[in-house]
Amino acid sequence: MRRDQDCNGIDHLLARREFLAGSAAGVMGANAIGLGTLTSPASAAALEQQQKRVLQIYLQGGVSQLESWDPKPGTQYGGPFQAIPTSVPGMHISELLPHTAKRMHLLSVVRSINSKIGDHRQGMLFMEKGRRAGEYPYVGSVASRYLAPENSDLPGYIHISKRGINDSTSAFLGARHAQLKLDGDKPPENLIAPSGIEDSADEAREKLRIQFNRRFTKQRSPALTDVYNSSYEAAAKLMKRKAIFEGKALAKDLDRFGQHDFGRHCLLARDLLENGATCVKVTHHGYDTHAENFNFHLEQLGEFDKTFSMLLDDLHDRGMLESTLVMVYSEMGRTPKINSKYGRDHWGTAWSMAMGGCGIQSGAIIGKTNLDGTKVAEREVDPGHLFHTYLSAVGLDSSADHDLSGRSIPIGDPAAEPISELLS
Amino acid sequence: MNPTPAIDPIQTHQIAELKHRNALTTLRVDPTGRYVAAGAQDLDVQVWDLVDGNQFTLTGHKSWVRSIDFSADGNLLYTACWGGVVKVWDLSHDIPGMKRSFQAHQGAARWVRLSPDGKRLATGGNDRLVKVWNAETGELEQPFSGHQRHVYGVDFHPNGEHLISQDLMGVVIVWNLKTLVKQRTIDASMMTGYDKKFAADMGGARDLQFNADGQLWASAGITKVVNSFAGIQDPIIVVFDWTTGEAKQQLRAAEKFKGVAWAVRFHPEGFTIGAGAEKSGKGEIWFYRDKQESAFHTFAMKSAARALDLVGNDRLAVAHADGFVRLYQMTAKSSEPEQDGKEAESSAT
Repeated sequence: MRRDQDCNGIDHLLARREFLAGSAAGVMGANAIGLGTLTSPASAAALEQQQKRVLQIYLQGGVSQLESWDPKPGTQYGGPFQAIPTSVPGMHISELLPHTAKRMHLLSVVRSINSKIGDHRQGMLFMEKGRRAGEYPYVGSVASRYLAPENSDLPGYIHISKRGINDSTSAFLGARHAQLKLDGDKPPENLIAPSGIEDSADEAREKLRIQFNRRFTKQRSPALTDVYNSSYEAAAKLMKRKAIFEGKALAKDLDRFGQHDFGRHCLLARDLLENGATCVKVTHHGYDTHAENFNFHLEQLGEFDKTFSMLLDDLHDRGMLESTLVMVYSEMGRTPKINSKYGRDHWGTAWSMAMGGCGIQSGAIIGKTNLDGTKVAEREVDPGHLFHTYLSAVGLDSSADHDLSGRSIPIGDPAAEPISELLS
Repeated sequence: MNPTPAIDPIQTHQIAELKHRNALTTLRVDPTGRYVAAGAQDLDVQVWDLVDGNQFTLTGHKSWVRSIDFSADGNLLYTACWGGVVKVWDLSHDIPGMKRSFQAHQGAARWVRLSPDGKRLATGGNDRLVKVWNAETGELEQPFSGHQRHVYGVDFHPNGEHLISQDLMGVVIVWNLKTLVKQRTIDASMMTGYDKKFAADMGGARDLQFNADGQLWASAGITKVVNSFAGIQDPIIVVFDWTTGEAKQQLRAAEKFKGVAWAVRFHPEGFTIGAGAEKSGKGEIWFYRDKQESAFHTFAMKSAARALDLVGNDRLAVAHADGFVRLYQMTAKSSEPEQDGKEAESSAT
């Protein structure tokens, strides 16, 4: 009889499921990949000097490209909002992003994404994996695997979100690189060791666990224990760094970032990145605006704009932006056509995202949509191209294979390539 | 000569369609009943002359027009847009034109109303301010601050001495125009909801109007938010008592109707009229008697209603999401062909 891998009491130490999310496919050769095979020679030295990081700001639900990065005021489907100039001459974005507009010299915009997917789940998976289908790791798990220092004392991929399911993100990269999902800015559950257990007792208990694991492994596939070991290692590291989660945000920071969930989440993201986290994803919910698109974008982007701008400022001022790739993205865009509820519906045909920081040419506009925003007019790309671009920007060779024992799996979709003109 | 038919909401029927190429956002009928002016999901204002059947377009806004009002004689038209600009149009000349334009708010100007004496304009906007302007010169007379969220609607009390405003969160403020201070705050929080799933607020007055003697005012909007991002909430029209500030009636649509109440009017014969948009894209007009919270008659329409106004006492003009202004008659169908202006209305496209 197969043992129940999920029932060994680890949950009582930490919310173990967070680390097991990628375990289904994670038992294959998790430690078989060498960093040297993936970084380009030129960037290998730089990676050693300064850790590359990824900050993902995920606008869940599908932000409207017309109310954000690709405004078309006065056109048939342009909506009621104006376009405003930015700090990049000739570049205009929506008036709903006045703070971001002043910082566009730190970012670039891709206005020509055609994913051909108008579905939340499938669109998100395409954006995260760079492939339309199949068991492949999310960009955060790839970053964790190839960018996180071996001795990193924080999980390589941390996702801050108040809701949503816990995805299986690491595929064959192993549980160690699966997403740790935090419930907002709350510390992970059971971060503190149970009272009454002295450090010495805890160490003895850990040695005993390792001893049992070794004995167990001799008789079975080591893959069965890899998942558990990854959980324990991550838990132990987190417990040592619990101060990051326990510290309360300073009032002056909250005043700048905003006294709301997204403000607190972005402050935590900043602190995690500053303390060595490799990939941090912050999800801002509330863009699936089938009704009241304009009022809701006023509310949601009003919250996003100031907070994101403050986060960008802090990364820039602290010298982290040149080593941190910043992505602002959704799983799709929204229809140019406005429905009877003042809403915009799902749209994968012609939409936008922004990125900046590490390895990204700043102030660029990639691609173009037609006058009404109903089609891509120039430089069509899809999330496969974007996936290559993210990894290339942080110095990874996205055309290389994952070096798995007995298998050859390209990191990025071989049918796509990086958006070369977006890379610095 | 036939006697004037009695007004009977149960007999309501469509008598004309006035077509525009884009979805309409708002509508107002001038007090003389001659002009219907509508904003749309474009930058223009469409005006139909119900007397001669002509139609003309006023251009100049750089954003969608959200609110419209007329002077008592119908010669001046006031429009407010999402760009925060208010424009004054003179319709008295052969070629109507813009008389004045000013930046009233930072962010959208959601509402504009002319005072009963025609001397002042009130506006409300996304900068959370209510402002009173000299209607003749366009000069700002008094800004009022006190709302914490976007101001959705404003209206003058018929006595001309007070102004009410309602914001996204259902906060209604009564402003005293003599002392220039906030006189009282009234709770309309039943007209707002927090969508937990999407972590956003929805609410606000989608229409706001006093009755003729000022003893009541009514506000149209939403309640019982379930999933406002999909348009799943109930429409509501709340009738408030001016003296006590209490919600006197909460007028509802049928339970199956999920959407937004976009309009309310007090009819001189004592009933109240509302109109709304269902999430399916269809619309309804509701008729309520005093002291009853369910409609005594509901008139179904094929397209969502986004505004409604009275044309005289016997007709209704409704702005629809399919781009049409439709005129509805609240009397029994005539057995004879429609006479005079009504023929022109029917043919105006």
